[in-house]
Amino acid sequence: MPEPSLGSLADLPTGTTALIDRLEVDEGDQVRLMELGFIPGLSVSCQRRVPLGDLTVYQLDGVQIAVRKETASKIRVRSTEAPGEGDD
Amino acid sequence: MTSAACHPAEAPEPIASTGALVAICGPPNVGKSTFFNRLTGLRQKVANYPGITVEKRIGSLDLPNGGRVDLIDLPGIVGLHPRSEDERISLDVLRGASPATPKPTVAILVLDSTNLQSQLRLVPGILGFGIPTLVVLNMSDDLSARGGSVDAEAVAKQVGAPVIAVSARQGTGMEAVLDFLEGAIQPPPPVELPVLNNIPAERRWAAGVARQANFHPPEPSLWGRRLDMVFLHPVAGPLIFLAVVIAVFQSIFTLAVPLMDAVEGLVSASGDWVGAILPDSMLKGLLVEGVWGGVGSVVVFLPQILILFLFIGILEDSGYLARAAVIADRSMRAVGLEGRSFIPLLSSYACAVPAIMAARTIENQRDRLATIFIAPLATCSARLPVYALLIAAFIPERPLLGPVFGTRAAVLLGMYAVGFAAACITAWLLKSTVLKSKPTPFMLQLPDYRWPTARSLSLRLFDRSKVFLRRAGTVIMLTTIVLWFLASVPYTDGEPPAIGDSLAGSIGKTIEPLVEPLGLNWKVGIGLITSMAAREVIVGTLGTIYEMEGDEDSPGLQAALRSEVSFGSAIALLMYFAFALQCMSTVAIVRRETGGWKWPIAQFAYMLVLAYVAGFVAYRIFG
Repeated sequence: MPEPSLGSLADLPTGTTALIDRLEVDEGDQVRLMELGFIPGLSVSCQRRVPLGDLTVYQLDGVQIAVRKETASKIRVRSTEAPGEGDD
Repeated sequence: MTSAACHPAEAPEPIASTGALVAICGPPNVGKSTFFNRLTGLRQKVANYPGITVEKRIGSLDLPNGGRVDLIDLPGIVGLHPRSEDERISLDVLRGASPATPKPTVAILVLDSTNLQSQLRLVPGILGFGIPTLVVLNMSDDLSARGGSVDAEAVAKQVGAPVIAVSARQGTGMEAVLDFLEGAIQPPPPVELPVLNNIPAERRWAAGVARQANFHPPEPSLWGRRLDMVFLHPVAGPLIFLAVVIAVFQSIFTLAVPLMDAVEGLVSASGDWVGAILPDSMLKGLLVEGVWGGVGSVVVFLPQILILFLFIGILEDSGYLARAAVIADRSMRAVGLEGRSFIPLLSSYACAVPAIMAARTIENQRDRLATIFIAPLATCSARLPVYALLIAAFIPERPLLGPVFGTRAAVLLGMYAVGFAAACITAWLLKSTVLKSKPTPFMLQLPDYRWPTARSLSLRLFDRSKVFLRRAGTVIMLTTIVLWFLASVPYTDGEPPAIGDSLAGSIGKTIEPLVEPLGLNWKVGIGLITSMAAREVIVGTLGTIYEMEGDEDSPGLQAALRSEVSFGSAIALLMYFAFALQCMSTVAIVRRETGGWKWPIAQFAYMLVLAYVAGFVAYRIFG
């Protein structure tokens, strides 16, 4: 069970699911990441770490996508138990 | 649905009539190309967009009402905010802003029906281009096989455009595409689509439409999970990757042998036949020695090239290639390139020209230049005839790993490894000096596993044969004809000269001092000159030279080579071909892609020096 507090996608343990919270990248990269499915509020689960490298495969919005650690570390996630969006 | 049912009184007004342009668009990995192939079959060709060189696939389709429309297969888009050149082209064509492509009359938006809640997000944007649009929910076979379902009619009502469900792989539902183009599908009344300019809102709208249309997503594919567990396993994954590579190389030798024997038999039988029916004349000499001896010795390698492409096709269509890219990402990162560079590099194992074009998908300009620079170092299929000839002539076949992996395949694999290592080291040099840059976000979508279809594989092989034979019929034919003339003059006393005294011979002897440090003679020297046009020309050149020299029972190209070239020089020659940039098409495309002569000249010089030094060292070691 992930922590209810915010963490980065890179720290999500294999086999767990979380909600995307926000993208800490510049605006151009934000649009790109969202077009690829990293949309705040959607759930993402960590499928497996790839051997010999820093890629991790995530299941996201119906597709499987391999992401490098440095990118994943800029994607903040929150627990699926955490209060939903629209609270602020 | 028949047209009579919709319009009892008159024939429907066609949406697309003869000469109309139908654009096929959609996200990546939704089977757009399969859909395009299903509609056009063999009536398609690959061209380039002028100025910019992303592949442009166009084809034609006959409608039952007698009309004929043109189809264009656009590169995949994930949204309306292009980040790479090929996405920009798709959007420009749809907008009517592409210089040489007219604005399409009709658009067909292909979506993956197993993932509608996300894919429908593109609909408002595409309908916003203001052209009649058919929305195709592809992979319906996959959706129902995994227990999912969707009501296409209900989606149509929600989006205000006709929507059909098809399986392009199986060809089911495709007749509805023709009905649509003929105007036999009554479009639903248009609806006011929300004006959306933020992606989360678009995504919420898409999920709403999917829900209203009773979309039930399919169960996740258990097979896919299990396969990934094996292919991306820490130990098994890399081992399988290696085994796949070894199997491909071994079969290039073993599987191809009977086919090559057949082609060779055909070539020599037809050559003998031409020789027998023609009277002794210059024309006969040109045909038998120049064309059959030269072009024929290259055509023989068609089966090996097709086997390589068959395997690449199977790996790509099945979805394994994306996993291989993930496994290989580590090495790309070690040399400072982003993982996206892997795909162009992989395709440059086929040919550097499309690989250099594919580098357009790389957003970072410096990474793109580095990828273009190293692409010709990857072992392209034009090197295969040269390697195959030299390896068959100089390396005795002995089993290494039992009967499955022999010395010849091992040496061939070694040649690919040499090219790969040179590409990596060069990339690292460039990325740590002149092309240093900060890394960009990298991610790679892993498509679902699928069985490759015989139809799509045979289309690939057909395409590849056309390219190979066209080259054999143009560049290679031309150089061997020119060579044959140079080798036949000057006449003395009405007799052609011995080849050593001919014009070609004196050119070869002039440059002999240059190739001597590699242990090569003037005949191979001529081959090194002619192969500046294209690598495989050297096989044709040597074929012509030895054919012209040989008497009635010439011992064949391999034996002739063995009698003139030492083992050490053969290895030197292999090294030279591994590194030298002997390909005018590559030089031309690099000039066009980088917008000047600076990069192609630097690349040519760098690779020539590398080739010469490697050849020299190899000759010293093995000579």
